[in-house]
Amino acid sequence: MKGNVIKYDRDNIDTDVIIPGQYLKIHDYAELATHAMEGLDPDFHSKVKEGDFILSGKNFGSGSSREHAPIALSHSGIKAVLALSFARIFYRNSVDGAFLLPIEIGQDAYDGISEGDEINIDVSSNEIQNITKNQTYKMKPFSEIIGKIIAAGGLFKYKPDQD
Amino acid sequence: MGKTLFEKIWESHIVVEKQNSPSLIYIDRHLVHEVTSPQAFEGLRINNRKVRRPDLTIATMDHNVPTTDRSLPILDQTSSVQIQTLEKNCKDFGIKLFGINSPNQGIVHVIGPQLGITLPGTTIVCGDSHTSTHGAFGALALGIGTSDVEHVLASQTMWLEKPKPFEIRVEGKRKNPHAVTAKDIVLSIIKNIGTGGGTGTVIEYRGEGITDLSMEQRMTICNMSIEAGARAGLIAPDEKTFDYLRDREYTPKNYESLVDTWKDHLKSDSDATFDKQFTLPIDDIAPQVSWGTNPGMTCDVTESIPTPDEFSKGDVNQKKGAEKALDYMDLKPGTLIEDIKIDRVFIGSCTNARLEDLIEASKVIKDQKISPHVKAMVVPGSQMVKKQAEEMGLDKIFINANFEWREAGCSMCLGMNPDILSPGERCASTSNRNFEGRQGTGGRTHLVSPVMAAAAAINGHFVDVRKMDLN
Repeated sequence: MKGNVIKYDRDNIDTDVIIPGQYLKIHDYAELATHAMEGLDPDFHSKVKEGDFILSGKNFGSGSSREHAPIALSHSGIKAVLALSFARIFYRNSVDGAFLLPIEIGQDAYDGISEGDEINIDVSSNEIQNITKNQTYKMKPFSEIIGKIIAAGGLFKYKPDQD
Repeated sequence: MGKTLFEKIWESHIVVEKQNSPSLIYIDRHLVHEVTSPQAFEGLRINNRKVRRPDLTIATMDHNVPTTDRSLPILDQTSSVQIQTLEKNCKDFGIKLFGINSPNQGIVHVIGPQLGITLPGTTIVCGDSHTSTHGAFGALALGIGTSDVEHVLASQTMWLEKPKPFEIRVEGKRKNPHAVTAKDIVLSIIKNIGTGGGTGTVIEYRGEGITDLSMEQRMTICNMSIEAGARAGLIAPDEKTFDYLRDREYTPKNYESLVDTWKDHLKSDSDATFDKQFTLPIDDIAPQVSWGTNPGMTCDVTESIPTPDEFSKGDVNQKKGAEKALDYMDLKPGTLIEDIKIDRVFIGSCTNARLEDLIEASKVIKDQKISPHVKAMVVPGSQMVKKQAEEMGLDKIFINANFEWREAGCSMCLGMNPDILSPGERCASTSNRNFEGRQGTGGRTHLVSPVMAAAAAINGHFVDVRKMDLN
C-alpha cells in the first residue's frame, strides 16, 4: 500500500480536532469528510489525496468514542494512520469498521519520515519502506485477531467460528 | 494467587476465551444516546437483525438536546432529525427511552446510577467514552464506538482484549475537603501519570482518599479515567455504594441478597497483583486548574504557567505540544493562574453536574453576583438533579447571582448544541476536556472543580477557594 504522508509532529491528537463536535449530527460521510482535521488543520481537506497516510506521535485519537473520527479520515482518502501509540477506542473503531489501518510505529519511523514522503506499507512483512528517503522501518505487527478482522474487512465480516 | 476486582468481574462475564486472543464478554447493561447510535440501528435494519436484549438496553438523549425552553421546537433541522431518529429507533426495536420531556432525561452517566440501572459487578457499555463513570459502583464500564454499539445491540456481547489492572492509591486526608475536591484529585492524577498513563489498563482507585469520598465524588474520579487513557476505572463497592443504590426506580427487587454476595466478592484480594501502580498523597494538594489543551496540562491554582521546557522535561513532542497549547490558549509562561481573567463559566457535564456539585458551587455564590464581564451557566446533569436542586432553592441562588439555569444535557462540554464559546472566549469549565475547539471553535477551556468555577465567576478570574469559608 503506497501513499504520501501528512505529518502532525505532536502527541495527543484528539478526536475533537479530528472531527469537531458540531459535525456529529452529519450522517453523510462525504460531507463529514469535508470537516476532517478541521480543528487542527483547516487546510487538510484541500491538501489530502486518496491513498494518503497520516503520521503522528503518541496517543493518537484520544478522547471521545466518536466513530465519526476514523470515518471522516477514511472518507477523506486516508488509508492508514501511523503513530507512536493510539488511544484504544480510536484504534478499535478504525479496525471494527475497516475504515483505516492504525499502525503502531517506532521512534525511527517517526523521526525518519517527513511530510510529503512517499512510503509503502507492507503488512505481510510488517515493514514500512520510505521510497523518498530509501529507508526501511519495522511496524508493530497486528495481534492475531486484529489482523483477521482487518483481513475480513471489519468486525461484521469476520466470522470467529471459522477459525 | 489472588484476583483483582477487575479480574473477578472479567472472569464472570467471559462467553468465549481463547489463548492470545480477545475474549467475548457478556454485557449486562447497554446505555444508548442519540449521537453514536443511528448507524448502529441502521446496520441492524440492513441485516434484518433484532436487538437481542431490549430489556437490558436503555436510551436517553443528552448530547444534542437544547438546554433552553423545551416547549419550543428545535430550530436546527439536523439536530431535530437526530432526536427523532432515536425516538423511532427505540420504538421500532422496543427499547426503553427517557425522551426529551421525560422527568428521567439527562446525561446518560448521571441517570444510570440515579435510576439504579448501574449495579456493582456488572458490565456496562455505552457509545460514549465517559462510560467509565459507572465504575464508581464497582462495575466494569466501557466506552465503545458505533460498530461495537451495533455488535452489542445484536448480540449482547463484545470482543475485548483483556486490559491490565492498574492500581492507583489515593492516600491521606484533604485538609479542606470543600475546597479541594474529587476533581482536583483526578486532575492531579492525570497531571502526574499523563494522558497516556493508563493506556491498555483498567484503573482501580483505592485508599483512604477514595473511600472517604461520596458516591458522587467517586463518579467524578472514575469519569476522568479515560482522560488518562485507561479503558475503564473502578472503585470497590462499600456501604456508601449499597446505600446510594437502595430504593432507586430500577433497583432490583432482590437487592439485599445481591448486596450480601457483592460484599464478600467485589473487592481485590489482599494478595492480588497489579501490572502497574501509582500513589497520590493528597494531604497537601491544591485546587487544580488546567492551562493547556489536554487534561494533563494542569497545575495548582497557586502556581504560574510553566515554560514548555519545564512542562516537557526533555520530551521534544511534549515541548511542541506545550508551545502549541500556550499559543492556542493565548497564555504566557510565568503568568500566575490567579491572574487569568475569564469570560464564561460552565457548571455542568457528566463529570460535575450532580446535586452535590451544585450544592457546593452554590455555597460559593450565595448572596453574591457574578463579575459583570462574565457570562455563566449551570446545566444540571439530569432533570431529576434539576428538580432536586430547585426543591432546595439552589436555582434561586444561581439565578440571583446572574447565572443562567438550564435544562439537563451535555451542553457546553462538547459544543454540539447551541451552547458554545465564541472564538477567543476563555471559560472556567467543570467538564472533562480542554481540547482545542471542544467547547466551540477557538474557545479556550480551563478545567476546574465546581467550587473553583463558581469562585471564578464571582471574581472574574481564578482564585484559590481554600481562602474562602465553604462550610
